[in-house]
Amino acid sequence: MAGPLRVVQYLNQFFGGIGGEEIASMPLQVQRGAVGSGRALQPLLQGQAEVVATLICGDNYIHDQRDKALAVLTEQLQALQPDVLLAGPAFESGRYGLACTEVCKAAQAAGVPALAGMHPQNPGVESGRPDVLIVPTSASPADMQTALAAMVRLALKLGRREALGPAELEGFLPRGVRRTYVREAPGYQRALDMLAAKLTGQPFLTEVPIHIPERVAPAPPIARLAQATIALVTTGGLVRKGNPDKQVASNATRYFRHSVAELQSLSARDWEAYHSGYFNHIVNKNPNYILPLSFLRDLEGKGEIAGVYPWIYALPGVSTPVAQAKRMGADIAHELQEARVDGCLLVAT
Amino acid sequence: MRLEMGTFPVHEVRFAGRTQWHDGVLEIERDALIDLVLRDPRIATAEVEIARPGESVRIWPVRDVIEPRIKVEGPGIVYPGICGRPITTVGQGCTHRLAGVGVTEVSGVNWHEAGGDYVEVYLDMSGPWAEMIPMSALWHVCVVVEPDPALGSEAQNDAVHQAALTVSDHLAATVRDLQAPQGEIFQLRPVDPALPRVVYIQCIHSPQAMSGSLHTFCTTTYGLTQLTPPWFFHPNEILDGAITGPYRTPFAMSWTVANNPVLLDLYRRHGVDWNFLGVIALRTEWTTQHEKQLMANQTAKLAQMLGAQGALVTWDAGGNEFIEVIRTIQACERLGIKTVFLTSEDDATGGAPTMLEPLPEADAIVSTGFFKTRTLEVPELPPVARVIGHPTKPIGPLRDQLAPTAGPLPPPPRYDDHYGFNRLSCAEF
Amino acid sequence: MTKEIERLGIPTAQISAIYEFAMTTGANRVVRGCRIEHVCGDPELGAEKDYAFGMRIVRTALAALQTAVDGPTLFDPAEMLEA
Repeated sequence: MAGPLRVVQYLNQFFGGIGGEEIASMPLQVQRGAVGSGRALQPLLQGQAEVVATLICGDNYIHDQRDKALAVLTEQLQALQPDVLLAGPAFESGRYGLACTEVCKAAQAAGVPALAGMHPQNPGVESGRPDVLIVPTSASPADMQTALAAMVRLALKLGRREALGPAELEGFLPRGVRRTYVREAPGYQRALDMLAAKLTGQPFLTEVPIHIPERVAPAPPIARLAQATIALVTTGGLVRKGNPDKQVASNATRYFRHSVAELQSLSARDWEAYHSGYFNHIVNKNPNYILPLSFLRDLEGKGEIAGVYPWIYALPGVSTPVAQAKRMGADIAHELQEARVDGCLLVAT
Repeated sequence: MRLEMGTFPVHEVRFAGRTQWHDGVLEIERDALIDLVLRDPRIATAEVEIARPGESVRIWPVRDVIEPRIKVEGPGIVYPGICGRPITTVGQGCTHRLAGVGVTEVSGVNWHEAGGDYVEVYLDMSGPWAEMIPMSALWHVCVVVEPDPALGSEAQNDAVHQAALTVSDHLAATVRDLQAPQGEIFQLRPVDPALPRVVYIQCIHSPQAMSGSLHTFCTTTYGLTQLTPPWFFHPNEILDGAITGPYRTPFAMSWTVANNPVLLDLYRRHGVDWNFLGVIALRTEWTTQHEKQLMANQTAKLAQMLGAQGALVTWDAGGNEFIEVIRTIQACERLGIKTVFLTSEDDATGGAPTMLEPLPEADAIVSTGFFKTRTLEVPELPPVARVIGHPTKPIGPLRDQLAPTAGPLPPPPRYDDHYGFNRLSCAEF
Repeated sequence: MTKEIERLGIPTAQISAIYEFAMTTGANRVVRGCRIEHVCGDPELGAEKDYAFGMRIVRTALAALQTAVDGPTLFDPAEMLEA
């Protein structure tokens, strides 16, 4: 079965040439062939592959309507039957990067090999571990050609269903998936050669990349607390008494938000903890231990803070996959940002 | 300190009427050697067997493998301090060695009675396990001994290791007065001051924490196994066996430490790539966060005071000992000493890190692969024609079943190439 | 999750009893809580002192929100002066 590989590209609204931030809520659409920045992709494929379709989606839509967007995407992929999907490159755009990662996972689940391109510090990288193949790019879209060329190399291998070697050889970011590998020289020699290189300022490649949890730039401090609205979030597994929402005790994939607009405190009569990672009984007697509403109301009464955001967010933070935690955090963050909340207290257990 | 090392290659070992070495053949008068071992009243039974590389033979239990070496000139005795040997500082003069042969200590004595540590190593001379273990290419003179069971654990350990040393000394003596076919001078001669100064930080497990005793048998530094602050050794001292004795993997044996390719290559590249200052040996498994950090700080400080600009770090253990090792690396880096860490890896499940505490300062790591034979998917090892040592071996996670040693057998639990002899590694996919 | 909220510019104080882990994972404003089972307070102290302790933790958290930081920083209620 000869013929060029069939490639589908995923782009956001901007790189798809539709529009900017104002149209970030556009739903997923399909266009034939290569569009937007994808037009730079086709020539790089040099006849070995063909961009048969481009899937374009607004960065906000895919976050706000994730399940719907991915369902449509999956349908499209099943209809198109591509050999490989390329998502991005997203460079340093965080929402786009996270979207690319989700798209790749969905594609893989639908049996389509996929890869994304983005800057190594893009949050999409961490959320993609360990399953998504990500080719590192610079931070700047001005490097589109270089980024696409790097992605194409890997895309062609994936499309041909060739076995992949280690990340350092194939050019994708290490994903924390370690496997036995026989190297060219014995360990002592590699170690001493690495020492010689390090001492003389020559480049060297560590055989065990350290995966440091990502840092985020601290948000600027609140200038005037008396004018501030504070939100409360807990991973202590707070639920309404009897757990009518049927929140799970661990491995949560969603959080619940509750209104505390009328409440001065969380009472044991109406609330409890449901979290398999710690002894829940103490919190059951006083839920304010894991969501300190009573204290904030007290301070609000004294005028020390302007108010408490009427919605609280709760989930049980045990065995929560990092990617889920990130996604839930991003959703909550989005709501708090829209509500112009000034600060947040998050109680972790 | 100048040491001339004379090497006598051995390509065959056989029993004969006299114990002697000639033209690469080591002949052993078996009965005389057994009598020598039995002179120690602590030894109840003794046998000497030869295992040939490539032969279908399995040796179990292997407590240690020792390369026969002997001082020809200069103070002290090789393998100083251990088993009550003189502690005179070694590393000078002339030492002769038999290359291609190991004296293998085979005994059922366990390290200590506090639990948790067991003798686990066995050696195959052919087959998949032999291919993984460099010592399987040696001729093994196996000293199969059992001590008087009435002795305490420490005395039993001492007795059986002494038996192996007795044989090693006796065999090495065959070449003491001969002209060595190969020689090498080991000297840290002055070099170009522009070359970077490096130290080798060799972390060695101490059994003190696991056993609760200061004198438990294990790898020794001049005979001591207890937790001690960092030592500074001239590399010649290690060539004369100042660090000797086994721990629990096939790569933590007297033979591997005396033939440590990291040490030898650091030495041989002295004056070419660097100015090799020497070896800092740190005993590990300190018992509190404070102590571990203290040792890390002091080791780095010692390196700095010696003028080190770079350090190569190895270790021979696992578990929480990683903390003092990685913090030593961190402390060195923070003092501007560039480090490279040679280490094995633990399981990688679900993308979890394969190191206990990945600190960002450890930016130059060389991996010798997963240390567990289970993770390496080493298959059940095939049956052999001959067994040296015990006919059965405990197997199973609770070590409560006995399997015939000769039969197919699960591999020893740990591989762990501490000193980077092999090319097995890991990469990130 | 704290980082996601922080990422959108909302200063977030993470109150946790296992504060070192919180810092290693990159939360910028970390407040030392009491115990996992009762982060904001201590029932052993009796009702009045329990409340005062909880209030101290919350005040420390609010102080953290008002403090500029460069990276993961620990705010320990034991070291905060009484308001």
